[in-house]
Amino acid sequence: MLRILSTLLSPTSGSAEIFGTDVVKDPDKIREIISYLPEEAGAYQNLSGFEYLEFMAGFYSDSERQIDEMIDEGVKISGLDERLDERIKGYSKGMKRRLLLARALMMKPKLAILDEPTSGLDVLHAFHVRKMIKEYVDEQGVTVLLSSHNMLEVEYMCHRVALMDEGVIIAEGEPVEIMEKFGSDNLEQAFMEATRFG
Amino acid sequence: MGDLWPLVVKEIKELIRDPKILLGVILMPLILFPLMGSAINISQKSVMQAMISASFAVYNEDEGPVVEALLDYLHRNNTVITIEAASIEEAVSIFLETNATTLLHIREGYSQNVSEGRKANMKVYANLKSLTVAETGSTDSVNRLLNVYNYYLALSKIEDLLSETGDTSDPTAVRSPISVSYASIIKGNVLEVAPSAIFGLIMSQSIMLPIMVMVMLMFAIQMAATSIAIEKEQKTLETLMTLPVGRMTILSGKLAGSIVISVAGAIAYMIGFSYYMTSALSFSPEMTSMNVGDVGLGLQPLGVLLLGVNIFFTLVSGLALAISLATFTDNVRSAQSLTGFLVIPVMIPAIILMFSDLHMLPPTVRWVLLAIPFTHSILASKAAFLGNYTVAVGSIAYIAVFTVVVLYIAARIFSTERIITARFTSLSLRDLFRGKKERRSQTWRSHRNR
Repeated sequence: MLRILSTLLSPTSGSAEIFGTDVVKDPDKIREIISYLPEEAGAYQNLSGFEYLEFMAGFYSDSERQIDEMIDEGVKISGLDERLDERIKGYSKGMKRRLLLARALMMKPKLAILDEPTSGLDVLHAFHVRKMIKEYVDEQGVTVLLSSHNMLEVEYMCHRVALMDEGVIIAEGEPVEIMEKFGSDNLEQAFMEATRFG
Repeated sequence: MGDLWPLVVKEIKELIRDPKILLGVILMPLILFPLMGSAINISQKSVMQAMISASFAVYNEDEGPVVEALLDYLHRNNTVITIEAASIEEAVSIFLETNATTLLHIREGYSQNVSEGRKANMKVYANLKSLTVAETGSTDSVNRLLNVYNYYLALSKIEDLLSETGDTSDPTAVRSPISVSYASIIKGNVLEVAPSAIFGLIMSQSIMLPIMVMVMLMFAIQMAATSIAIEKEQKTLETLMTLPVGRMTILSGKLAGSIVISVAGAIAYMIGFSYYMTSALSFSPEMTSMNVGDVGLGLQPLGVLLLGVNIFFTLVSGLALAISLATFTDNVRSAQSLTGFLVIPVMIPAIILMFSDLHMLPPTVRWVLLAIPFTHSILASKAAFLGNYTVAVGSIAYIAVFTVVVLYIAARIFSTERIITARFTSLSLRDLFRGKKERRSQTWRSHRNR
């Protein structure tokens, strides 16, 4: 689904729109307003972190000033400081994920599609990633479509949740509403309840 | 251009910073070929030295007066071991204990045969101890001495015969009544040079050009395949495809980046190869004595232009072919294995045309070769070099058509989700070219029928 929204794949049936634009009919327009972070995304091993951000920023503006602003944002979001001068091949998984998140958010897209942004990360990196996503949504007004198997993470981060089971939405609403609906203390329990009854 | 440039720069950085590519494509040819040339040069020089300094043994069974002149001649300026023995068998066993590599056996009756105008027979034995090249050429020094002696002996006999009959003919003209000199006609110009002496020209248009085209193409194919496979292996392709940049721009960036690196690799290869040829052949000065410039040949401006256009189309077609193939792989290793098959249509024409010309080949082979696009790259290069511009343009037209077809296929792959989803296990050419709408409706039908 996220790959369809990101214009990578075509839907076999049905349609999808982002802010009123059809993803199949006008993929070029969609690519201008979204930013996609795949679950297993990688970065160019032989570029430095800074070069990577610079390379990516270049596609979103022709203005040097705006590109510099985006890179500054990227540097801030990644929190990698001087490690950004090193080649990406030397980065840990967590560092790479922070760099990729910075790439996805630095241009302030209308919609950031983040697939399992903290999957496989240690506590420290996972905390940083969650914190940056939350801050960015609150401060910059960016809409984030986040997918995760970690229900506690979803409960902590999301304003609106859709629980999916085998490709079908089984519950939708604010986390509190879903928890109330299933009489659960947290979203993980709600999911278990929803799938039991679903 | 705005989005293309960063993509090209990124491609070049990624490829050039990869140690495997830097070492294998650029540094290795610059180091390996000169080393190989030096090694061949050293071994050839030592062979030559061994041949020059080789001593030889003489076993003489003749006791007549004429053989003395031959023995005097052989002993002059040479290290000759005289073997005293009762039979040739004994002489051979003594010879085997010496350092000499060659034994000259002068048979009994030599003097008498020469004096009476009959052929005098001799035999040369070579002792092949370690079966090296030097040993197989060890009889050369004795042969050379005997040939010179033979020539002057013949002249002296002719002179005697002529003076007996009162003939005033030139003895050298009697011995060799016909004198042949050679000239070469190239592009309609008569050059007072034997064709065998135009080594540089033959080397450059028959061997160096096919090698250059072949090497450059192979580099380009490997670069492009690696570039796509790296994107897939490192999971960067998906991100790249969601950026607000045209798919054709991404494809062009990949092509341009790979062209830059492969041209750099080809230049490094040619520099290394020239050093190799120069140092490997330097032991034999006559082989490098003449080059293209010496015989007034060389690429004219139109030839340079056609050569450039030809190389451009050849590279783009090779790259597009490699990119199309590499799309169906998941990692660098399988991409390189798969594109390894492209060696066949690239190498076969190059090797055949290195040693033969198209019109010399049987018609079937000729037509098969002409059907291979990369044959035309070599034909066009040769034709541009020799000024046959019509042939060059024809070949370029063929490769250009092929390039357009391959580029179309690559563009099709890049513009659909095939670039993400394509695998050899699910590859169907029909599927590749089928319209998106038709494909979707078929999938929907199969879904509904389940």
